[in-house]
Amino acid sequence: MLYDSKKERHQPLVLSVQHFCLQDGPGVRSVIFFKGCPLRCVWCHNPESWSMYPELAFKKHLCINCGYCMDICPEKAIKSPGHWDRERCRLCFTCVQNCPSGALEGLGLEQSVESILESLRPEYTYYKNSGGGVTFSGGEPTLFSGFAAELADRLRSEGVHLAAETCGLFNLDGIVPRDNSKILAKSRDSAREVWNFLSKLDLILFDIKIFDDVKHRQFCGTGNSRIKYNLETLAVLGHNHTGPPVWPRLPLIPDITNTTENLVEWGRFLRKINLPYLTLVPYHRLGESKREWIQIKKGLNIRDLNNGDLETAKAILKSEGITCYSPGEEEWTRLSEMG
Amino acid sequence: MPSVANSKDSVHRIGNDAEFSAPTSFYEPTERIENIKAELLASPYSICLERPVLLDKFWHSRDYSPHDHYLVKRAKALAYVFSHRKPRIYNHELIIGNMTSKRIAANYYPEGGSINILEDIFRLEKRAVPLHLSPREKLHLFYLGIRNLKRSVGWEAFLKHPGRISYLINNTFLAQRYFVTEVAGISHQAGNYWNIVHHGLRRADEIARTCLETKKLIDGTPLNDDQIAFYNAIRITIDGICKMAANLADEAERLAALPETSPERSKELQELAGICRHVPYNPARTFWEGLQSCWLMHIIMNLEDYEQGLSWGRLDQILYPLYLRDIEEGRLNPEKAVELIASFQLKCCETMPLFSKRIDQFFSGNTVGQGITLGGTDVEGHDVTNELSALFLDAYAQILTREPNIHVRIHEHTPDWLLEKAVEVLQMGNGSPALFGDKAIVRALENAGMTREHARDYAVIGCVELGSQGRTYNSSDAALFNLPLCLELALNRGRKFSSGFLPGKRLGPVTPPVSAMKTFDDVVKAYREQVASVVDEAVKVIGWLENAYRKIRTSPVNSIMTEGCLEKGYDITSGSARYDFTSLQIVGLADVADSLYAIKKLVYEDKRLTLEEFTQILKNNYKGHEVLRTEIISRFPHYGNGNPEVDYMMQVAVDAFTDAVTAHRNTRGGQYLVGVYSMTCNVPFGKATGAMPNGRLAGQVLSNGLSSSNGADRTGPTAALRSAAFVDNLNFGNCLALNIKFDKKVVANRAGKKAVAALFRSYLVDQGGMQVQVNMIDSDLLRKAKENPAAYPGLLVRVAGYCAYFKDLPPDVQDEIIARTEYGG
Ligand code: SF4
Ligand code: SF4
Repeated sequence: MLYDSKKERHQPLVLSVQHFCLQDGPGVRSVIFFKGCPLRCVWCHNPESWSMYPELAFKKHLCINCGYCMDICPEKAIKSPGHWDRERCRLCFTCVQNCPSGALEGLGLEQSVESILESLRPEYTYYKNSGGGVTFSGGEPTLFSGFAAELADRLRSEGVHLAAETCGLFNLDGIVPRDNSKILAKSRDSAREVWNFLSKLDLILFDIKIFDDVKHRQFCGTGNSRIKYNLETLAVLGHNHTGPPVWPRLPLIPDITNTTENLVEWGRFLRKINLPYLTLVPYHRLGESKREWIQIKKGLNIRDLNNGDLETAKAILKSEGITCYSPGEEEWTRLSEMG
Repeated sequence: MPSVANSKDSVHRIGNDAEFSAPTSFYEPTERIENIKAELLASPYSICLERPVLLDKFWHSRDYSPHDHYLVKRAKALAYVFSHRKPRIYNHELIIGNMTSKRIAANYYPEGGSINILEDIFRLEKRAVPLHLSPREKLHLFYLGIRNLKRSVGWEAFLKHPGRISYLINNTFLAQRYFVTEVAGISHQAGNYWNIVHHGLRRADEIARTCLETKKLIDGTPLNDDQIAFYNAIRITIDGICKMAANLADEAERLAALPETSPERSKELQELAGICRHVPYNPARTFWEGLQSCWLMHIIMNLEDYEQGLSWGRLDQILYPLYLRDIEEGRLNPEKAVELIASFQLKCCETMPLFSKRIDQFFSGNTVGQGITLGGTDVEGHDVTNELSALFLDAYAQILTREPNIHVRIHEHTPDWLLEKAVEVLQMGNGSPALFGDKAIVRALENAGMTREHARDYAVIGCVELGSQGRTYNSSDAALFNLPLCLELALNRGRKFSSGFLPGKRLGPVTPPVSAMKTFDDVVKAYREQVASVVDEAVKVIGWLENAYRKIRTSPVNSIMTEGCLEKGYDITSGSARYDFTSLQIVGLADVADSLYAIKKLVYEDKRLTLEEFTQILKNNYKGHEVLRTEIISRFPHYGNGNPEVDYMMQVAVDAFTDAVTAHRNTRGGQYLVGVYSMTCNVPFGKATGAMPNGRLAGQVLSNGLSSSNGADRTGPTAALRSAAFVDNLNFGNCLALNIKFDKKVVANRAGKKAVAALFRSYLVDQGGMQVQVNMIDSDLLRKAKENPAAYPGLLVRVAGYCAYFKDLPPDVQDEIIARTEYGG
């Protein structure tokens, strides 16, 4: 293997930089998708962003069966188009470079701050005229806080509005004095690095999912007490203007997050921490085809949202005092209500 | 002596002085508007025989004298038509004056291009959009066409000269390298409606009378015989116009007096009769009169030359003083103004072009391009967006019909509300309005020879073409060129590709064989030579037409509507307009750019194959080389994705054309200009073009205007706009067309509207973009519409610079619309 999974990676991989995104914060935005995420939500529509390492992907409908990949692979790892031996493959991407159709794709590029800036700068004019900017996303951008902070600094100095989309699972220990005694020095350092990144932002889009810790473990792969703690902490920091404002978002997954119980509990929590607004992100199945690309097994069989589901969810949350929005339709001016 | 309308007069400064609150919501259409629209949508399309019948009558009557001066002959013929047409007034309408003798019909121009319909005359019902004509009418039309053949431009320019007949066949019947639209007529004008509205025809009439009386031009030079004939022609023409207006007034009074007419309608008709007795000869006194005056002159313009591209230009500016006065004096309120405008705009649906099936491929959609330009600046560059700019959009939002063509000018100080309102109308999904960047356009027009002030007073003609309003004679849609075919000829010594033993047909000059092309520059050189040769040939053919127009198809009406002619005492077809241009258009630009890139990369940089080998692959239509083709399509960069290396090839491809075109002057002494738009010629030209180095197979559709080749823009709209802005538009004096399609879902909400508005502000203001037009549709809807066109009679899409009903488009053009990238998905 070319990459040692044990070794910690500092230089993050970027899946892609997408432009003209209208649902990831105010205005016209570019979104940087980092590769790597601590959660494994069963409904994830970006499963290629889970692993921090490069991956080989295969888009079957594009393949023209020319067989070039089989011939050219130095490890003879490809048995037939779309079928390769993961043990043998050392992710050299020779096949990708020679695939005429684009069916084979190497996911995860090492990109420098400078090269990312280069691809963003032509978009500044659209940010300026729309009140948009750049959104760090993934995967989980706080996994790469050092790099992200460096990029954020450069963008800020060029006057770009910055947001991040986070799953909320990161270390903020010691940023707000609480139970200082127990915090290890190493942990505090990593928290400082995360905070150093987050504090440079103009907006944090904070994804919440399942309120119940046990269910969260079942469907997302980890517990959620830290996520709740972080949301509360960031809300406090945002309210007293020592941190960026926070806007929560909740993916509406049938029978998983979209249950009355879950919505009511989140509603109460949000009201308690004084974030009376929430974006509901309706579930879609686009993730399924991506699971096939990287050949991981199908996720749970999740049904589509029913017609009235969204309205019902909105009504439940409204009765808890929370105003709900669709992605791209948020009233960002409400952020000034904070504090 | 009265002064001729000069620039000080028609380039006024009004607009921003009056404060008004930015209109954000739309008015609901009144019942009247709904009713007129419903009647129009229910009306079949037909051909009007009135004009050819009247002309035929005139030509064979005692009024016609072969000894008259040709200018007088023409004026008499036109005046005869104007004054003998039967007036028709339809229910509910507030603006009256029938465009033809039927509710919706094409006018027939025996002296021009209409003759093409005779090819189809006995199968009109079988067309995609059936034309309803009785067998008797068909025979009659056929008879008229044959009887008057020798009075046609086609006869005068081609058939009379045996050596030229092959050109007629090659360039209109078998059009492959280029298509000469000017065979049909010139038209394409945004006339001096400021003059018409505020001074009336009276001013022109007085100038003509005074010149005739004094036998001198305004500047004191004695008149020659041609000039005397010119001024006589002007007076004859104006007389005919007045008679037409009077006949209309009589008809209004007759209807008003009918017992079955309701008292309210009777009162309206009486008022309209009064208006038509006053305008267009006299200055309009009210907003209503202003609109009615514009409409009557529009009919006249239509009856003179032919129906294409006849535009009003900047109506929000021209009518604003009348609007303000009416509001101040309590005669009008915004809601009533919207109703008047909507009634006016619905009149635009009464006309349609007359194309045979063969020609319809090139100009699909039954569009004539009656343009209205809104917003922009005055001659000093100050914003003049006003309340009327909003009301014209409001009225259009009520009707959403295939005509008129609404154009919105955008510049640095355009208020956000106008841009957002324009986007809001776009979201209604009918592809209108189109947006124009003042900065780029003024720069290009100055480069074409206009003063900065006149450039700033530009109006859009027809679909995207340009002129300084009321000062320009631009044969703006003279011809379209198949650039990819020029590249094919460059790769095959002037012959079309052929895969067999027989060589392909020779269409261009002999350029060096590919084996001798040692560098990429050699390829470009051969391509440039092919382009220059085809342009030379078209310019020659257009010259014949210009001479024919000057003799048998002069334009007294257009001479009244355009600054310069009355001063000089010559007809506009002799080059007397203040600015005179002829414009040539491009088809397939992005295909050439992507192809040049592919050649450079494969042959000269990576040296993966020789140019001979590559050319052989193209001749075989990639047979046996599908993998290479897939690679080029999927892996090579294409124009439209913000990649400067391939975007630069657009410049190389277009410079060849620009250099060839701008080297020419027309026979009126006017400059040749470049326009980067394609109508729907990309479909028939594509059929005539072999496989291309960018992976396009023989026969497939070509790229359109400044848009990327089909499916090649994959990086989203920001990159597509950036690529478009990368191409230097200094030389595009006849503008360009850039198609962008958005998925309706993505931009359906408030944030989407703001985002799209911001995108266009960036492109048109910050990046110096020239033009953009939008299809805001979902492909599901289009697919359904294709299966069952009849179920979607009102569905509109934008096709290369104009909008058309989807059902009116031939299937392969429908396919192309569906295939264009949808953004935001
Ligand atoms: S090289 Fe690409 S297109 Fe060819 S067989 Fe392999 S995956 Fe398919
Ligand atoms: S990346 Fe492709 S070429 Fe490289 S080892 Fe893996 S399968 Fe073979």
